[in-house]
Amino acid sequence: MPLLRERGARGREDEHRHGIRDGGPPRRRTRWLAFGVAGIVLLFVLRAVTSRASIPLPNQVQDFLTLTISVIIESLPFVILGILLSIVVQLWVPDDLFVRALPKTPMLRRLAISVLGVLLPVCECGNVPLARGLIVKGLTVAESMTFLLAAPIVNPITIITTAQAFGWTNGILIARLAGGFLIANLVGWLFAKHSNQFGLLTDRFAAECRVPVRDAGSRLEDRWKKSVDLFVHEAGSILPALFLGAVAAGLVQVVVPRQVLVTLGSNPVWSILAMMVLAFVISVCSNVDAFFILPFATTFLPGSIVSFLVFGPLIDIKMLALMRTTFRARVLLQLTIIVALAAALVGLVVNFVA
Amino acid sequence: MWSLIVRWRGLALVAVAIVVTLWLAVTNQLILYIHPRYVVFTAIMAVIALALLIASLVVRHGHDHDEVPTRTQKVVTVVGAVLTLLLAAAMIIVPPATLSSATAIQRDINSPTIGAASQTVAGTSSASNATFAKFTVVDWSSLLRQTSDPAFYAGKPADITGFVTADSNDPANLFFVTRFVITCCAVDAQPVGVPVYLPDWKQKFSADKWLHITGGFAADPSTKSSEQIALVPSAVTLIAKPSQPYLF
Repeated sequence: MPLLRERGARGREDEHRHGIRDGGPPRRRTRWLAFGVAGIVLLFVLRAVTSRASIPLPNQVQDFLTLTISVIIESLPFVILGILLSIVVQLWVPDDLFVRALPKTPMLRRLAISVLGVLLPVCECGNVPLARGLIVKGLTVAESMTFLLAAPIVNPITIITTAQAFGWTNGILIARLAGGFLIANLVGWLFAKHSNQFGLLTDRFAAECRVPVRDAGSRLEDRWKKSVDLFVHEAGSILPALFLGAVAAGLVQVVVPRQVLVTLGSNPVWSILAMMVLAFVISVCSNVDAFFILPFATTFLPGSIVSFLVFGPLIDIKMLALMRTTFRARVLLQLTIIVALAAALVGLVVNFVA
Repeated sequence: MWSLIVRWRGLALVAVAIVVTLWLAVTNQLILYIHPRYVVFTAIMAVIALALLIASLVVRHGHDHDEVPTRTQKVVTVVGAVLTLLLAAAMIIVPPATLSSATAIQRDINSPTIGAASQTVAGTSSASNATFAKFTVVDWSSLLRQTSDPAFYAGKPADITGFVTADSNDPANLFFVTRFVITCCAVDAQPVGVPVYLPDWKQKFSADKWLHITGGFAADPSTKSSEQIALVPSAVTLIAKPSQPYLF
């Protein structure tokens, strides 16, 4: 045993120098593989066996679980897609592609970044890993925030689903796109004024950004290894946040009666606030939220629908938990206040015009 | 040591999320949580993630930044870890379930915000009895919202399936045959129901039981409830939960 431990310590040193260790001798690698695969198989077996058991839970507890798991399962594929795109951006795209292709003037640069979502169509939960990747790749924190806020709305899937729900000519789609675009650039402009950009990040993530471990090796095999490693690292950072966000979202839904929000719906100001609270609580993806809100369109004023569609993709319980992996709590508080005020303003303008 | 704990927690959660998703996909139960249009996408992404997870066991991992956490950070992380691992355990152990009548009551059955009518009075005026017999809970409830004229319902046969949710005003005599309508995932499920008048129904079955009911609509005999039209059943059968409990 002491021998093994010593080898383990040596492994850590190597890892410091090379970023990746090759897993030691093949025998040890096989053992890890066997151990891991056995664990996964065990989980499958457990799940299959326990599915026949009946565990009597009170209705509320059971529904809390169902809602929480639903949030996780709904977000999971988008998170995975986001991590995959993030890996492509970090390891498979030439280093300076993004940085060089973008305009130099900060304002124009952010404008360009806010339409990047058209090329990288993931909804908001997938955008968090992608925005992390962009920071690692050399974008400033304010610029990646612009991307994070614009991409869930200015993106082909969201545009199509919103158009399916509300129609192309209806003002709601246009107000949503314009609102999301403007808020993203406003936030980017405000946070760009911050002198210490890394100071906006959590210590852990800032440390990861400073160490350029992710520079892709020239060998294809290295690059694959790093991709796999990066996937596990990012999934391991994002999933705990997703789980916690889902727990919070599930709990609030079981506790707060939906009707409380809906009764506020017909007042021009209250309806906007009610819709934003609903968006915050429900935490559905921007790709599908238009379908969700469509039934409310008959009772709620159009401005409040727009506020829901603009605010929800940017800030909600699940998103705050996910973004906390990357940004400091103080930054998220500021971000929430700015986005909430701006989304409410967009809603008020639409209510006034309509 | 600390980074090892954080790493293994992450890996455990990834493994649990993937295993649960794939198992639900294989047993055709993903629809308990998400709309069918996302099932294929979700399954493909889970397979890719599983492949990468297994590959990572071969590759072994790179350098984790071993910053020393403060006391509060440690406490927060440990509390978070316990909570997430409890949820992970529940995901593996607790059998999948549909939303229950508790959520139906909390979300207000047939709330006026439920969208466009699936059936209209004008559109169904000349429909045949065979057509009416195929109507779901959603179809009937959309008609019930449009007209409470007993003459419209006279002679029209109803044949519906759903679970039992007690009426809040007259729980002894009136219940709703309920279904959840889903637009994206269980999170946005809206309860839709048809009121059924059956005095002392609790003698025969309890809330949340699934029923198959045939009968006809009439003016609601219950004086306490706010429903104007109710289904008066001619036959009520207890059934097992259908494999597709939600309507889309």
